[in-house]
Amino acid sequence: MATLAQSADSRFPRQPTTGYPLDDNRGTWAIALTIATEGTLFVCLFASYFFLENNKNRWAIDHPPKELYAFIMLAILVSSSFVLHWGERQVKRQRYVAARIALGITILMGLVFLAIQSVEYLDHWKDLTPYSDSYGSIFYTITTFHAAHVIVGLLILIYTLILPRYSPALRSPYRPYHVAALYWHFVDIVWVFVVGLLYVMPNLRIYGF
Amino acid sequence: MSTAAVEQRLKEIWETPKTPWGWFATVDHKEIAQRYLFTAMLFMVIGGIEALIMRIQLARPNQMLIPPEMYDQLFSMHGLTMVFWYAQPILSGFAIYVIPLMIGARDMAFPRLNAFTYWLYLLSGLLLYISPFMGEAPHAGWFSYMPYTSYQYSPSHGLDFYSMALILFTLSMTGGAINFIVTIMRLRAPGMALSRMPLFLYSTLTISWVSIFAMPALSAACVFMELDRRWGTHFFGIAQGGNPVLWQQLFWFFAHPWVYIIFLPATGMLSMIIPVFSRRPIVGYAWVATATVLTGAVGFSVWLHHMFTVGMSDMTMSFFSAGSMLISLFTTLQVFAWVATLWKGRLVMTASMHFALGAVAALVIGGLNGTFTGIIPVDWQAHNTYYVIAHIHYVLIAGNVLPVFAAFYYWLPKMTGRMLNERLGKWSFWIMFAGLNLAFFPMHIVGLMGMPRRIFTYEPGLHLGPLNMLETIGAFMFGIGILLTIINIFRSLKHGAVAGRNPWNADTLEWATDSPPEPYARVHLPTVVTRHPLWDDHDEEYDPDDERVFAEGRLTLVSRWLDAEPFAISKMPKETISPFLLSLALFVFFLALVFQQMWVALGSVIVSLLLTYYWLWPRARGEEIA
Repeated sequence: MATLAQSADSRFPRQPTTGYPLDDNRGTWAIALTIATEGTLFVCLFASYFFLENNKNRWAIDHPPKELYAFIMLAILVSSSFVLHWGERQVKRQRYVAARIALGITILMGLVFLAIQSVEYLDHWKDLTPYSDSYGSIFYTITTFHAAHVIVGLLILIYTLILPRYSPALRSPYRPYHVAALYWHFVDIVWVFVVGLLYVMPNLRIYGF
Repeated sequence: MSTAAVEQRLKEIWETPKTPWGWFATVDHKEIAQRYLFTAMLFMVIGGIEALIMRIQLARPNQMLIPPEMYDQLFSMHGLTMVFWYAQPILSGFAIYVIPLMIGARDMAFPRLNAFTYWLYLLSGLLLYISPFMGEAPHAGWFSYMPYTSYQYSPSHGLDFYSMALILFTLSMTGGAINFIVTIMRLRAPGMALSRMPLFLYSTLTISWVSIFAMPALSAACVFMELDRRWGTHFFGIAQGGNPVLWQQLFWFFAHPWVYIIFLPATGMLSMIIPVFSRRPIVGYAWVATATVLTGAVGFSVWLHHMFTVGMSDMTMSFFSAGSMLISLFTTLQVFAWVATLWKGRLVMTASMHFALGAVAALVIGGLNGTFTGIIPVDWQAHNTYYVIAHIHYVLIAGNVLPVFAAFYYWLPKMTGRMLNERLGKWSFWIMFAGLNLAFFPMHIVGLMGMPRRIFTYEPGLHLGPLNMLETIGAFMFGIGILLTIINIFRSLKHGAVAGRNPWNADTLEWATDSPPEPYARVHLPTVVTRHPLWDDHDEEYDPDDERVFAEGRLTLVSRWLDAEPFAISKMPKETISPFLLSLALFVFFLALVFQQMWVALGSVIVSLLLTYYWLWPRARGEEIA
């Protein structure tokens, strides 16, 4: 049996398995799939927005939302992604203090984003509430869902910020940082779509686009 | 180290302490899978009793055994229980048990997530089943169309329970899907390339991907429903610019893929069981694998066939009608592969094989009447009648229940170490099969005669009485058949013959472990060189230098997703109570939302957050590999 097994085994290139590194990629897979499913959630929300538009008695085209705040928020969120990406590169180079500073700046930018969004809501509320009609309902639902994702993203970033550092030999803090950054970039990209579809498009349509 | 010492060491590493704490904290896939199976069967029995009460009410015309309001709640709870809390979790149960063994891993990729999704599943079911005890169960069917489900027409809490329990259930299923994908894509034994994967892995992988993209639509729909019902928004109210069809769009965009989610793994089971009992490899492996994946993909472009009576353009309807026809081709392909396997094989007519063959036969009926209903004018005629009930029950019993029972007879000996009684199993099968046809075939006829679904009684003199009586008798026979297998299972635990490692002489890796398997499954992680590891000459666990033992901690091998070439070692977490606690906190959150107790909800959010941090917090001890 042994000889047979050996001969059969020789069909398969046997590598020594003892020297393998520890797998540190599982979290990336999980966050990628989470992003896929959450991205689909936003696709469903946007689809609902356009579906409801079919049955309008009042729609965004009558009172297109003001874009100024949304653009400021967009600028803040997009640049926060760049800051975070710079931080991620620092972790890779084992410059942990710089990485943590980048993380802290990103969190602050996220908080500023939320603050501006509440100001924007106060301004918007005079004209439109979730209770006024279906447009208001879906508009506030999408933006609130995004805000909720910003909050979750911030909580993940805060967790990464306060994470104790291990000696690199034991466990690099790069992976948690990477996973948190991926989620933050996702939240960021969703806002690009929110601005494009909910703010810019209705304003363009006034001019017949 | 000697073999016995290595085994002892592995056992110490992997065994869950047999204490109350260990019971709540276990992350062992074998333990969790058995809980899935037990819970799902419990829900099946509850859903079955609901169905039997309905059948008694419908047995004769003009019966008044139960009031119509209660009848509405019964059929809604029956549908919800069976479609959500039985049909998918039972498949998950089998998958969680056999997949790590089948791919030669020591656990799922995310053992704690695995425990977490189980607790979420259990608690979401409990959340739903609080409602009947308040006398306020959901009463609008399992798809709960707006605007009947708005606060105006359904002020009781039933539909709040519906939407909240479903969101919780969605979380559980999404977590499970992520776990399956990463497990199958990364933890396969060295050499088990995509082309050598058992077909059950193909179906589970496909439905996991489908779940990732289908479940959010249900969450969105349920959020909209709850906002409309309790928070004054206008997603579905026509007067304020909403649209009730939005609910249908979102719900069916989720729910038609869901039909494949609860169907495909069962076909995967058939593709495992039929070849083993035909004593040959399946005919057309690549075709079956491709058909499985395509069913999952095309399953996203058929959802409007539930809505042909809503009023859409001819072009839209034609497209979705064609999609529905197309998808039946893929199932047909699988059926022909099974039939060819049977044709070329030498059949061993075990109880499991009886269920498998019964499934194929009933699936042909359910498939044909489904294709028929996919034709638009036929659909207009048959819509909302018992014809549709006949279709869904043939498909789901053939495409889920019978394969699951085949799987019980096939895989339970692996889980318990005891064989089920074959004779009792065959009796159970024949009674179930006769009951199935007696109960559901006449529904085609009463449906075409015009009997609408979801009515609590009907007038005499419509010639519906005798056929309905027949259906009731069939339903009870079906129930008795199920009961026989349940008795068989419990009887086997004590009196069953000892199974041994591979009672069926099957080909896949799970049969190379002890029955029941050790906590660490096997000493040497296997390597694979063909599609049928136990039928070829290669010795999977040949490992003279003990290179694939990994007795240094909870470890398992990671391989590349395409060709399964090993490249890393994965550390597995130990027992932890946090998944259980976190699921409890989320349960409280959704329960609070049902009653709009926002302070309780906020409190449970904060508790959930702290628990999540506690769960993820790295612990210095146990981090290093001894």
